[in-house]
Amino acid sequence: MAETNKEPGILSQLFGIFFSKHWPVWVGGIVLGALNVFLFAIKSPWGASGGFNVWGENVYKMVGMFGLDGAKPLSLSFYGMLCVFLVLGSFIAALLSKEFAFRIPPKGELIKGFIGGGLMALGATFGLGCSIGSFFSGLPALSGGAIIFTLGLFFGTIVALKYLLWEMEKFPSFSSGKSYIFLAASANKGGWQRYLGWIVLIITFIVAYRYSGDNKIMAWFIIIGMLMGLISQRSRFCIVKGFRDPFMTGESGGSVGVMAGLLMGIFGFTIIKYFGIGVGDVGLRAREMTWVFPHFFLRAGIGGFVFGVGMTVAGGCAVGTLWRVGEGQVKLWASALGFLLISPISKLYIVKPLVEIIPQNLRFKSFLPDYIGYPGAFTLMIFIIFIWYVFVKWNEKTGKFSAY
Amino acid sequence: METKIDQTLDCKGLSCPMPMLKLAKAAKGLSSGQVIEMLGTDPGSKSDVPKWCDKTGNVLLSEEDMDGGVFRFVIQKK
Repeated sequence: MAETNKEPGILSQLFGIFFSKHWPVWVGGIVLGALNVFLFAIKSPWGASGGFNVWGENVYKMVGMFGLDGAKPLSLSFYGMLCVFLVLGSFIAALLSKEFAFRIPPKGELIKGFIGGGLMALGATFGLGCSIGSFFSGLPALSGGAIIFTLGLFFGTIVALKYLLWEMEKFPSFSSGKSYIFLAASANKGGWQRYLGWIVLIITFIVAYRYSGDNKIMAWFIIIGMLMGLISQRSRFCIVKGFRDPFMTGESGGSVGVMAGLLMGIFGFTIIKYFGIGVGDVGLRAREMTWVFPHFFLRAGIGGFVFGVGMTVAGGCAVGTLWRVGEGQVKLWASALGFLLISPISKLYIVKPLVEIIPQNLRFKSFLPDYIGYPGAFTLMIFIIFIWYVFVKWNEKTGKFSAY
Repeated sequence: METKIDQTLDCKGLSCPMPMLKLAKAAKGLSSGQVIEMLGTDPGSKSDVPKWCDKTGNVLLSEEDMDGGVFRFVIQKK
């Protein structure tokens, strides 16, 4: 190999740090956790299923179905736009690292994507929250319902993983067959991806700037959404992975990444709530109750379970789906489509009648500091993370609960 | 010298976790010293496969980016 004395310049070294190798998941987790705290400081924490629902409502509004003419326009919805720019942020990251390509899987996988997305929509609308709202933000929000939702996610993941293993044994043809790849780059090809990446990045800032005049919050949601997508793509941050891998290959890296983000969130959220930071017109109690949903414990348990099954079948939770859409993984396009199409229908026709059957005392807002004080709630959350950490590390060593 | 490939696993177009599930299952069926070649297109595999090899003790003989966005991993069973 020809030796060159020239070291890459400072700027290309900097570029390389971000876009040549994948980041460790825990780095992604910490940064995402910090951005989540910023969102709460500006307005309210990160959520994703609400964004999908806004997308869906706007689709039905366009075609004039289900009487959703009154739905909030996407361009005015904070969480709808956050999701849009999360996809774009991942698109930017994939382009800049030349990892973008349309990856079309065999048919069976597309079907699984759609069904998984639909199940996530059912779980999110019934359980009030998704892998983000009632887990990644819900635990830091010191919500009792989020703990139940998390348990539901665990059991859902285990059941769906059993299904995937069974499917692979009995029907291997379902996940094999013809696949197509388009527009992929390689070492000396696909330089256009880098140019397009810069262009989309600049467009993002222009859009944010245009909002900054009369909607400052939206401007920040756009920028933070873009960063969240970019970081998720570079670090392969994936909540399904965090739940699933210990039971699959025994890997603990993905779980530790999620825990790192949760820790960041627990500190930030507790401080915001405890000191009432950002209490403006909303009042201290409303600020404290942010992201504490009326789902303790039956709605949260059932919703979490259904969501857990859905995200494992789809291979991406709410956020994992969004950033893989931006990277060109068409299976997750099917899952996003299932999510956004089913969500408004489920909200209107399925959840409403079902919830009325459930007595009030099985679906209330449980804010842990009301029962055990802030010190108790904070300690409990840290303790849960600690136990989870010990479990995944022990399991990685012994392989006790891993399928392989 | 080109390594002798005992089995080829085609995971093109598949998203996480299918490539890892298929690889783990295929590796179970190999005997020690046999070599498996895996083709995939999920960028996640580039982190997942080396980590999995580290953990399981299987040897990652080579890893290359081929044309058309396909990654090729050659792994020898422990």
